[in-house]
Amino acid sequence: MTLIFDTYTIFWRELKRYKKSRSGVLIRLIQPAIWIVVIGNTFAGTQPLIQSVGFEGQYIEFMAPGVIILTAIFTSIFGGVNTLWDRRYGFMNKALTSPISRSAIALGKMLAISLIAALQASLILGIALAIGVSFPNPLVFAPIMVIVILFSLGFSGISVMVAATAKSQETFWGIINFLGMPLFMLSPALFPLELLPDWLASIAKLNPVTYTVLLVRGLMTGVTESGISALLSIGVICAFVVVMIGLASYVFTREVNKPF
Amino acid sequence: MYSIETKSLSKTFGNVKAVDDISFTVDSGEFFGFLGPNGAGKSTTMMILTTLLKPTSGLALVSGYNVVTQAKKVRQNIGYVQQETTVDEYLTGRENLILQARLNHISSDQINKRIDDVLNLIELSDKQNEPVVTYSGGMRKRLDIAGGLLHHPKVLFLDEPTVGLDIQTRRKIWEYIKKIHTEFGMTIFLTTHYMEEADQLCDRIGIIDYGKIQVIDSPKNMKNSVGNEILTLQIKDVDSRKSLISKLEKIQSISKITSDDDKITLFAPSGSDTIAEVFQLSSNLDIKIDTLSLKQPTLDDVFISYTGHEIRDEDSRFNRKHEHAKMKRLRA
Repeated sequence: MTLIFDTYTIFWRELKRYKKSRSGVLIRLIQPAIWIVVIGNTFAGTQPLIQSVGFEGQYIEFMAPGVIILTAIFTSIFGGVNTLWDRRYGFMNKALTSPISRSAIALGKMLAISLIAALQASLILGIALAIGVSFPNPLVFAPIMVIVILFSLGFSGISVMVAATAKSQETFWGIINFLGMPLFMLSPALFPLELLPDWLASIAKLNPVTYTVLLVRGLMTGVTESGISALLSIGVICAFVVVMIGLASYVFTREVNKPF
Repeated sequence: MYSIETKSLSKTFGNVKAVDDISFTVDSGEFFGFLGPNGAGKSTTMMILTTLLKPTSGLALVSGYNVVTQAKKVRQNIGYVQQETTVDEYLTGRENLILQARLNHISSDQINKRIDDVLNLIELSDKQNEPVVTYSGGMRKRLDIAGGLLHHPKVLFLDEPTVGLDIQTRRKIWEYIKKIHTEFGMTIFLTTHYMEEADQLCDRIGIIDYGKIQVIDSPKNMKNSVGNEILTLQIKDVDSRKSLISKLEKIQSISKITSDDDKITLFAPSGSDTIAEVFQLSSNLDIKIDTLSLKQPTLDDVFISYTGHEIRDEDSRFNRKHEHAKMKRLRA
């Protein structure tokens, strides 16, 4: 019970801070918006390629779910950076000398990051709708958001772990940039898995981003790709989240007990 | 039971001994201070006592609990105000305290009352709903201190509470700290490199240098141990002066008398007692004392006598060695 209460305390604090620094929200939307508009239109000519694997709509409808996940990836993987500030400016020591558990600090941060990531992703979804991407059924919005929150929860674990381990901003950004873009590119976010060479497709199938993209795109377009069922995707995402929660709690607890 | 007890406590970073075989005790309700230059091991000791660092060897008990094996119990009984101000700038003063209250598991029906009480105590009630960004340095520090009090800890740790503040703000913070100590009666453990601060606030002081405790005593005893207080009398009338000197020589509490022009200088272990005797004597003899002054030895004199150097020397002397150690710690 106290773990839940303590996690909520940290979650509350992170969201308060986010609310008061809202100016970043719009700036962070610019990049994914550019992705949708520029890449979505530039590659509009690839429509025959995606039709060959069973899609009927425009390319932009194919890649919009990919950009929603892109937003979730980057918002959540960057989200842990304030852990470094917390350690530098004493909030972390304040929390560490209070009776709350170390895991609660990591979990509270992760939950807040994933909620913020889902919020950003929903704004991108709004942009996609505004430029003509259509939904088969408005009710799928809710499951999409649940998937994005779960996925971001897992990804924020990476961010919190890297931030707890890295002693400097430079190290953090170095590692995060090294991880973020490849994880996005090695997924069917922009092109279907069927069009990737076998070896790349095999690597992509080890990437949780792949399953998230397939699941969200399945909900938005109604097409099942590469023979990967929704159930398998849900299973992979849930397993990813459980592993990341456990791993992040462990690594975070171990790292913050070392002197900064 | 002691409020704080350490036995042969040591902390080594690489091959630098930051804390070197420290043993001391602090009684319940006592105001205890560590005085020493930057890099002397004060903050490291405090980080061990607040469970942030594990000692390399030795034992430390806070409120009766072992800081290593019963860390959670220790955390339930302490308040810790860090050297840096740690309040969240984006949050309001009250929100900061709500956060602090929740971190310390204050039950929700008590949070509001506790916050109102500490806000009153540190006189920030009228600014409580403004973001901390708008607060001055002194106000932020007060808010930080308030956060350390909310859960009524048995032991309050104050790490250099007035560093970086101007002298007026510093005095103001001292007043608040004194008020807190009388009101709550908890044990306070303070570190500082300001002589005046240790002198003003602490019941007992430990002087620490190169990771070792050089001496522990009350500020008064320390100053007494260094030497006498200095009493200077000015008597213009030559005959009166001479007759007074001859009488003064018979007072046992005066250890030394010198006279120069129209001044008599008396050295005595306890100047205030001696003043009374001198007044008694002069009024009996009907001698007019023109001026009188009493100078006390300062803690500066004490520090020099125990460490062989002034506390402000640290900048030039410690720079290299301790900056190096600090960098090592940061990278560790």
